[in-house]
Amino acid sequence: MSSAVGSDALAGLGASEPKARRARFIDRGFRWVTLLIGVGLIALLIYMLVDLTAGGWRTFSRFGFGFFTGTTWNPVRGREQFGALPFIFGTLVTSLLAVLIAVPISVGLALFLNQVRGLLANPLAVFIDILAAIPSIVYGLWGLFVLKPFLDSTVEPFLIATVGKVPVIGVFFRGKAQGPDMLTAGVILAIMIVPIITAVSREVIAVVPRDLREAALALGATRWESVRVAVLPYARNGIVGATMLGLGRALGETIAVTMVIGNVPKIGWSLLQPGATIPSWIASSFREASSVGLHRSALLALAVTLVIWSLILALVSRILVRKTAEQLGEPGEDEPVSVARLGTAG
Amino acid sequence: MSAAGILQPVRGSRRIKDLAYRGALWCCVAIAMATLGVIAFYVVKRGISALSVNFFTKEPASQLHPEQGGIVQSFIGTGIIVGIASLIAIPLGLLTAVYLAEYGKGRLASAIRLTAQVLLSVPSIVAGAFIWTVVVVAFGNFSAFAGGLALVVLMWPIVARATEEVLLLVPQDLREGSLALGLPRWKTIMRVVVPAAGAGILTAVMLAVARALGETAPILLTALGNDFINTDPLKPTDAVPLRIFSDARTPVPGLHQIAWGGALVLLLAVLLLSIGARVLSVRQQKRLA
Amino acid sequence: MRASRVRAVTIAVVAAALVATACSSKSSTSGGAGGVALTGAGATFPDPIYEQWFDDFQQVMPGAKINYQAIGSGGGVEQFTAQTVDFGASDAPLQSDEISALPGPYIEIPTVLGGVVIAYNVAGLKSGLKLDGETASKIFQGEITTWDDPAIAKLNPGVSLPSTPISVVHRSDESGTTFVFTSWLSSQSKDWESKVGADKAVNWPTGTGGDGNDGVAAAISQTDGSVGYLSYDFAVTSKLGIADIKAQDGSYITPSIESISKAGGGLTFPISPDTNILNSTTKGAYPISSTTYLLLYEQATDQAKAQTLFDFVTWALTTGQGTVQKLNYSPLPSDIASQALDALGKMTVNGQSLTASSAVTGGSTGSSSG
Repeated sequence: MSSAVGSDALAGLGASEPKARRARFIDRGFRWVTLLIGVGLIALLIYMLVDLTAGGWRTFSRFGFGFFTGTTWNPVRGREQFGALPFIFGTLVTSLLAVLIAVPISVGLALFLNQVRGLLANPLAVFIDILAAIPSIVYGLWGLFVLKPFLDSTVEPFLIATVGKVPVIGVFFRGKAQGPDMLTAGVILAIMIVPIITAVSREVIAVVPRDLREAALALGATRWESVRVAVLPYARNGIVGATMLGLGRALGETIAVTMVIGNVPKIGWSLLQPGATIPSWIASSFREASSVGLHRSALLALAVTLVIWSLILALVSRILVRKTAEQLGEPGEDEPVSVARLGTAG
Repeated sequence: MSAAGILQPVRGSRRIKDLAYRGALWCCVAIAMATLGVIAFYVVKRGISALSVNFFTKEPASQLHPEQGGIVQSFIGTGIIVGIASLIAIPLGLLTAVYLAEYGKGRLASAIRLTAQVLLSVPSIVAGAFIWTVVVVAFGNFSAFAGGLALVVLMWPIVARATEEVLLLVPQDLREGSLALGLPRWKTIMRVVVPAAGAGILTAVMLAVARALGETAPILLTALGNDFINTDPLKPTDAVPLRIFSDARTPVPGLHQIAWGGALVLLLAVLLLSIGARVLSVRQQKRLA
Repeated sequence: MRASRVRAVTIAVVAAALVATACSSKSSTSGGAGGVALTGAGATFPDPIYEQWFDDFQQVMPGAKINYQAIGSGGGVEQFTAQTVDFGASDAPLQSDEISALPGPYIEIPTVLGGVVIAYNVAGLKSGLKLDGETASKIFQGEITTWDDPAIAKLNPGVSLPSTPISVVHRSDESGTTFVFTSWLSSQSKDWESKVGADKAVNWPTGTGGDGNDGVAAAISQTDGSVGYLSYDFAVTSKLGIADIKAQDGSYITPSIESISKAGGGLTFPISPDTNILNSTTKGAYPISSTTYLLLYEQATDQAKAQTLFDFVTWALTTGQGTVQKLNYSPLPSDIASQALDALGKMTVNGQSLTASSAVTGGSTGSSSG
């Protein structure tokens, strides 16, 4: 800040009219430019939605709502049938499994990071950030060559032999251990979403007023009791919001999943059978799908589904995070940003 | 739990529960660290044997002797694709952030933020499919340019949101002082606020680039891949994540090894950028506090 | 960090990107130091021999850089139709609706012969299990579920079959190998024809999906009791058990380079959507034999690219045929190769027909080892 300020200040003090008008014009122009670019981002999303919908239109008009409820995916021309339910099913199953595994661990990590200061906390936080930064292709490679053989040879036979024999629950663990399956995909997804759930939970827990917890401790409560009484009830909504963000990430993972899930459009009870998620299926079929016939259009229809899904999830998680903030008397913020929130490459 | 109960000395079931809680927390920590450890271990162990002079300087050799070749075209391709994406996404993201932080307070800004969140959470394969229909078919060509555009769909919101955060951290006094001195609004922003946020903006850019480096899905559908070095942005180009993906799916163990090598280099690059960004951001926050 | 440093870094990044872009050649044919770059995409089945050919061809014509991405036959046809590649490759001949979607007249050239084998990984079973079309159809429909099923035992008297459950593996991507295999199953079993049909991707009644021939081979080798279908060259190198298939005359044929070659005589020109060499009546011919095709447009516009492409295909149909056996493919019969060369002759660039460069015709005596 040097002469620029000086000359403009002088100009402001005794400015000539045209110069001041020019300055105001540039000022307004600048504002409009940034506004238009901001609108451009919205336009990009809308264009994407419109373009993909146009591509998928033939499929939607042919099958209507049945596209989402159909269970057969048959691209053979002459017998074409495109039902997305197997992929919706696979997406939900793997994501829910991932959340089931990830949330307890993430909340535990978040609580740990909140109460421990000093030597251990910072390295741990850094490690979690590292987990967040690992690209999906690396997770996929590791999942394919390290995790899958491990699960196939150790964990899955164990599960088949134990839980698999239990009535009702056992149905999730039947079949053969070998080969790609939804369990492997769920575990990989869990690892990938732990950082974001941890990061957001940590923020949410940190905002809980300390007085309550300290009061409980002063009264002789154990650490567990103080957390149970003074932290978790207040952080609950926020943790749900964090979970939704994690769920959103899990729903969107593509490459890591497509390398371990087997890509078979089938619905079944067992986690040990291969399946497919919407993104993994698009990734494996898109390049070869023929645009003669409906195949390519059906895949674009799947892509549209993903965009709308993300939109709904983003809205819901925003509402939840806002509700937590209101509860605590903080001004509502849209989506707090953190490193982990910016996601991993997919 | 009554007040009287809290005032009792801690014993019995209360103590057990507390110990279980503490144990559970430590378990979580152990699981997280162990997982990272196992991943790092394997990537390093299997990747390091692939790294050689050939790996960094040669194009792929025949499938019978993969170790005689390398993936130099992938490194160059990644550089070009991410370079193109950055050239476009960074200015756009920056100006979007300026709008959000400096001008926008109402519904429009809120909508922009929501859009950014959606674009960030949509699977990147969708961006690839979108750019395929719009660019690849129109040009009649798979290209590095199309790959770059597909990455822009992701990088733009990242730069925008992360930069907005940093701009908001710049103390309001700086702005008011500058305006009081007679600087027009736009100069205040570009000459005062943005430089003050300098390191933070660099952080945002580094995060976006780190993310873009590792993306596979959008490039899968738009750049096709190439076994040769290609510097023409309008032609099919290879990229490191893409090469890892296709090499991993072959039955040739030598190519698997090259895939691990690529993964190691990619991981190091992404980590360097991410950790560098984090360090910078901590320093920036200290400066502004 | 000072503002000036931020600016400096930004300028450096921008400059680097601009330099990289500027280094690119503006000529549409340049792929490097004065060479011609071609891009092709498609079938995974011929990928190993094509890669070898591209390598060898570069010795003949230095600077010819042919970038081939094996994304599957379906992808090959798709990208060829969209004209996003210079040539396509497909294991299945173009179907009538695909032909009508093409923007211009095309040339379909067979390049090598191969076979689709039924490969299995069953502890206790050696290679050479006898199977016929009906039984195979039932296996792949999931109706036969264990290896010691009476239907299999009937075809293999004297062989001790384990009671291991059968795990079917099929292709999860669109593929010409699937097309060939399902075409054969449809020709052998009315049940298969009506319930599943034949195409590059079908709705499999049972089984796991593998990506590419390689994915299927990997999946079969990972699980005891698995069975799937692969192109012959993949199966041979993967050391999986390979089934002997029953031919029209009742004899069981082991897939081999010779038995596949014998089926080659059934190829007729011009290639039509129904062209196939399945169930050849020649004695000793392997029933599930197939060929693979290169797809080109008749009317090219880029002189350098068209010449290189023309040279490459000419070379592949002549000198190239001599190297295919090394990689477990069968060469085209010589009369088929010369008919293919004639078909290639229809290619023109900007109205002018092409002749092969001397480097391609000079060295060889022009005959394939058919």
